[in-house]
Amino acid sequence: MAYWETIFYLVSMVIYALAGGGFIYSFVFRNPRVVSKVTLFVALGFIAQTLAIAARFNATGHLPWSGHYEYALMGGWFIVAGTLFVGWQNKQLQGLAAGTIPLVLIMLGYGYMQNPSLTPMAASLKTIWLYIHVYFAWLSFGAYSLAMAAGVLFLLKKKSEAKEVPNPAYDRFPSLGRLDELVFRYVVFGFITDTIMISAGAIWAKDLWGSYWAWDPVETWSLISWLIYGITIHLRVTFGWRENRLAWLAIAALSSVIICFFGVNLVVNTSLHVFQVR
Amino acid sequence: MWKDEKISRPSPLIPQHLINSMINKIIKYLSSLRFTIVLICLLGLMFVIGLWVPQQSLLKTIYFEWQKKSPELVAYLDLFGLTTIYTSPITITLWLLFFLNLSLVLWQRVPVVKSRIVISEAKILDPATAGGYSFRSSYPLPEHLDDETVLNLLRKNRYTVLGDASGFYGVKNRLAPVAFMLFHLSFFLVLLGGLISVYTEFIGYIELAQGELFQGEIERYNNKPRPKLPATGTIPNVSFTIRSIEPQVVRNTVTGIRVKLDDADGKEHEVGINTPYNTDNSSFVFKHLGVAPLFVLKDSSGNEVQGAFFKLDVVKGRPDSFKLGGFLFTTFFYTDYEFKDGKHTSKSMEFNNPVFVMAVERDGKKLAETTIPKNGSMEFAGYRLEMREMPFWVRFYVVKQRGLSILYAGFLLATIGVIWRLLFYRREIVGAIREQNGVLCLVVAGRSEYYKSLAEDEFTKMFNEMVCKVDER
Repeated sequence: MAYWETIFYLVSMVIYALAGGGFIYSFVFRNPRVVSKVTLFVALGFIAQTLAIAARFNATGHLPWSGHYEYALMGGWFIVAGTLFVGWQNKQLQGLAAGTIPLVLIMLGYGYMQNPSLTPMAASLKTIWLYIHVYFAWLSFGAYSLAMAAGVLFLLKKKSEAKEVPNPAYDRFPSLGRLDELVFRYVVFGFITDTIMISAGAIWAKDLWGSYWAWDPVETWSLISWLIYGITIHLRVTFGWRENRLAWLAIAALSSVIICFFGVNLVVNTSLHVFQVR
Repeated sequence: MWKDEKISRPSPLIPQHLINSMINKIIKYLSSLRFTIVLICLLGLMFVIGLWVPQQSLLKTIYFEWQKKSPELVAYLDLFGLTTIYTSPITITLWLLFFLNLSLVLWQRVPVVKSRIVISEAKILDPATAGGYSFRSSYPLPEHLDDETVLNLLRKNRYTVLGDASGFYGVKNRLAPVAFMLFHLSFFLVLLGGLISVYTEFIGYIELAQGELFQGEIERYNNKPRPKLPATGTIPNVSFTIRSIEPQVVRNTVTGIRVKLDDADGKEHEVGINTPYNTDNSSFVFKHLGVAPLFVLKDSSGNEVQGAFFKLDVVKGRPDSFKLGGFLFTTFFYTDYEFKDGKHTSKSMEFNNPVFVMAVERDGKKLAETTIPKNGSMEFAGYRLEMREMPFWVRFYVVKQRGLSILYAGFLLATIGVIWRLLFYRREIVGAIREQNGVLCLVVAGRSEYYKSLAEDEFTKMFNEMVCKVDER
């Protein structure tokens, strides 16, 4: 890791940890006013993370595209960017960070434990398809993470509203109906970008490995994950799965994406993908 | 038989109407979305099993080791095709059922899609009472408003509008249901392209050194693994000479490779990682690099005994051997050689100081071991081994497939279909301009696919903006 990269990386982790604590405080002590201040904190962490990426770019000459560490760094950046963007568009959605920030914190912690050494860009990654494939992979991961966060908020808010005295911390968030639809909307966005990611990956694979589909473990998991979200959309549109069921689906389905990005290489070491092995 | 005698048929065990009802029920289930979901779950399960059970085609070494350790278990799994899961009879049956289900679903949806994209006067309803519309509102309008103003503003918001101020129907993204058909039809294109590519597929590996000519001869492909010949079609029809091979390495990362080749017409092509040589529906994909030194063996009087280029697979620290003049030479190769702490080692993967560590033996007896730098030599038992050149060789993964353009068209159609269907979904409104309590009002009702609350926000925003514009006029 570059010197300034290490500093900004750790600073962003500390800020995200404090922000996560702030969200927990807001819910437990029923203080909704804290949320907007904590969101400012998240924005500060985001700036620090951006600077860490810039420092790494300065040291290597390329954006962090590969390996578990770089994936955590850049993938986490996309999730936080998405969270801040929707929070900026609609203040009621600032609370989504309560779901996404802990996820990003775990990703950054995990990434730090992997190999963060500075390496030149591998030849296999020097192609326009990398940018298309990985960019859409991050967008889909970000959208699915937001769907999970909206699902968590929906379940918490619904539980709170069932009580005699609801927790006022949830008043700042959108109504249950809107949260329910937001879960679906983020799933839809993730599914579209996921489709583009898989198509671009297949075309790239043809040039790189000679085969557009090789049942590589990461390929297979990405297909499984795509099918899971495809089923989620069908269940919602055709079978009318809403509210609790949809929220739980969005939370559970994210595990397939996490396995795809971080888990496959833990159990199977034969992947052609360069998440861990160059 | 008498003329008026009736032939009595034996009564069937199952009455015809029950058989018909059973067939209808089966067709209904086969064409249901419930069945689609069951099939997708089962296919997903097969894929997950394929990740954990070593597959013969993907993990040959692991599979054979595992087979030695647990022959009974492997034989049992082999029997059910679980070690060739992606082409096993179970998986293929599931795919067949999936496409049967998809065909039936699409067939059933055709009239539904047709009816949904047609707009007619019948869709103009009273906004106050129209059923199925979740959003209802009314907005005061200025007096003496031109009837067409509101309708034109709706058209500016990309609504197709039917009717007039006394009652109208508007629809945005009217053709969105067509995207449903496109998205699902793309699966058939992917299937068709995939099937064509599988049945026309040729796969082989070939190792070519700098300066070598290749004219597509089948016998020149590697024997291990054996080339996979196409079920239908031909092997690659090519002719080219490798002009140069130039690896690019920074520390321990391969940052590129540049293989230049000249085809039969003398045209130059450059092959690299991510840029295969494509010709005759075939791709020559770079897979591996090796060194192919020219060794010459001389006897004690300086006469050449034998000499040849040897394609040695030694770049990643693997040992390799070759025979020359009755001697067996075993060699290790170091790209950036140094002798450190009594050991031969390489500082990096960069070709800064390439050195062979060579052991020579005859009849199982080791005669000598020494290092040979590039263009160096070694002496042993009255002989001298000279390295004259050290060019590289490359291994190409050669694949010939047809139908890829159909497959890619499927990907494109899937992407267009999914974006169109899920982002450009339908919104419908019915409305009228009428007097309410002496005030001219725009009375509207609206509905949207997928969303209710979010669509209400959208309608509210749109109508508020429209009314503002009307007021401004």
